Amino acid sequence: MEQLFDLALFNSALRMLTPILLAALGGALCARVGLFNVGLEGLMLIGAFSAIVGNHYFGNTGAAIAFSIGCVSLFALLFAYLCIHLRANVIVVGIAMNLLAAGLTTFSLRTLFNVKGAYYNKDMVGLPKWEIPLIKDIPVVGDILSGHSPLVYLAIVLVGAMWYYFYRTIGGFRFLAAGDNPLAARSLGIQVRRYQYGAMLACGVLCALAGAQLSLGQVTMFTEGMTAGRGFIALVATMLGQSGPLGVAAASLLFGLMDAFSIRLQGFAMPSHFTQMVPYAVTIAAMFFFKNKEFVKDAQSSGTSSR
Amino acid sequence: MDKWKKLTASLLGPAAAIALGLLAGSIAIVIAGGSILETYAEMWKGAFGSLYFLTSTLNRATPVILVGLGAAVAFRSGFFNLGAQGQMALGGLAAALTALYVPGPGWIVAIVSMLVGIAAGGLWSAFAGYMDARFRMNLLITTLLLNYIATLFASYMVAYPFKDKTGSAAMAQSQMIDNAIWLPKLFKGMPAHVGLLLALVAMVALYVYLTRTVSGYEARMMGGNPLFAVYGGVRRTPLMLGVMFASGGLAGLAGAGEVLGSQYRYIDNSFVAADFAWTGIMAALLANAHPIGTAIAAFFLVALQTGGMGVEMNTDVPLEIGDVIQAVLILFITVKFVRGFRRRRKEGDPNGAAV
Repeated sequence: MEQLFDLALFNSALRMLTPILLAALGGALCARVGLFNVGLEGLMLIGAFSAIVGNHYFGNTGAAIAFSIGCVSLFALLFAYLCIHLRANVIVVGIAMNLLAAGLTTFSLRTLFNVKGAYYNKDMVGLPKWEIPLIKDIPVVGDILSGHSPLVYLAIVLVGAMWYYFYRTIGGFRFLAAGDNPLAARSLGIQVRRYQYGAMLACGVLCALAGAQLSLGQVTMFTEGMTAGRGFIALVATMLGQSGPLGVAAASLLFGLMDAFSIRLQGFAMPSHFTQMVPYAVTIAAMFFFKNKEFVKDAQSSGTSSR
Repeated sequence: MDKWKKLTASLLGPAAAIALGLLAGSIAIVIAGGSILETYAEMWKGAFGSLYFLTSTLNRATPVILVGLGAAVAFRSGFFNLGAQGQMALGGLAAALTALYVPGPGWIVAIVSMLVGIAAGGLWSAFAGYMDARFRMNLLITTLLLNYIATLFASYMVAYPFKDKTGSAAMAQSQMIDNAIWLPKLFKGMPAHVGLLLALVAMVALYVYLTRTVSGYEARMMGGNPLFAVYGGVRRTPLMLGVMFASGGLAGLAGAGEVLGSQYRYIDNSFVAADFAWTGIMAALLANAHPIGTAIAAFFLVALQTGGMGVEMNTDVPLEIGDVIQAVLILFITVKFVRGFRRRRKEGDPNGAAV
């Protein structure tokens, strides 16, 4: 058992949960203003790809991340405009965004870099690993928390920031009100649409960071469809965490741990198929304890708030 | 006159979506260094150019239509079943194994295999429905998660216990099924098979069920207004289990048809790679879960994909051009233009009920 659970497991769990956590926080922002964002996967994929493109052309991770944020924000704005101003079906647009991202990244991979499948270039620089001065010397905590890319720490800070924004600021209350009951919020003079655009844009930025962590964090390369369902997992984390920052963080932690755990199990001659199932099976088991609202209540609340 | 105005207004959105899709495609073609007209001509030829290409489009459309119908019946009843991918994989796997190991005359085994495929997909889907009805576990999440478990399980089955060890060892796939069990082709030497007829029968049956039967009316009522439906005496749990079984069963039949009529074995990852499940769900969403509209939408979405393959074969433009056009088209197709928007606001949001 000692080989199964050690500090490195938690260390890699933290690394694996970061993209999921970042995207899930974005999903939570959208969910809170009544936009159910199925397009996390696609936005993340665009983020991962544009981060590599930025890295290739600017040769600098900071510029690469900025470029990635710019690109994904553009798509997020399009998403928001279609759903908010043109009243398109949010789920349809979300799934279309996933298809568009898959097609567009593969298409661009072949036209920009002339490769199929994956792009790798040894000249590209990955994200730095930060050793945090004081914490790294603490025996247990240091091994877990130290030596990650800056985005990992940013994700943790963002959980706190979002909690503070939601529950301790006036803007956050208005944000939640705009989602809870748009009609009532509008009658109080809250610009509901402005909050919806803001949420979508912030979600784009978060997904860009999630994608950058994927393509620049652990490995410095892009492969077709490299998000591999993480966007959907993030969506599940959003719903499981009931769109609150702390709940979302807990759900993402569960996924990160199970992910790291499943890789560890592969060392025990288990077929990888079963170890890969572990995160999903555990989530279903966890859902047993987070009951859904009664569908009657669900229907009643959807009757009072028009989207 | 008013009727014509309504018709043109309802066609305005799709027409604009198609125009924008083609425009985005043109930009992509220019960036890739191709000629726009030539590429689109190749695309048309790749999808409908000859009887062979047309039937191969129809062949690919068969599972997509079935998955779409399955999604449509669930959406109509207000149950958001996103688990088609896993249900289809289990249906395909179950059909392949039945066809391999059950003895008997070919056509009987074929029918039994399809029924087993339907049962496998249907039960997997009804399991998610049961968890929602009994333990109030969100259907949307469970169906999404069960996808991964089902596809991984199917991959395991053909990678270890039922792996084809006779041919090239590298592929994870089951053995080839006996050709007495293969579903007959519609035209000699052409890809489309009898599964297409089954899909069309299912389409008509679903249309009749939804519009002409009591149970279909209850299902639509549940989708339109669950409170009213329950108040009116509809029992939600049996309805949910039944609808989810039908929905997953159609996805299972899609997998079974693909195995028995087109691939003749269960090949790991082949359903996921072709994106049958999500295209089918998309078709149902685009057609607002109308059975006949779903089938038509499925056919055209698939035509864009097969057209893309024609483009890749004959020009330098990558086949993903089809995906790009398809995605842009879908992005804009549910857009409501100003006229519709004002009216909708009064009625409330009819699409909101599906979520």
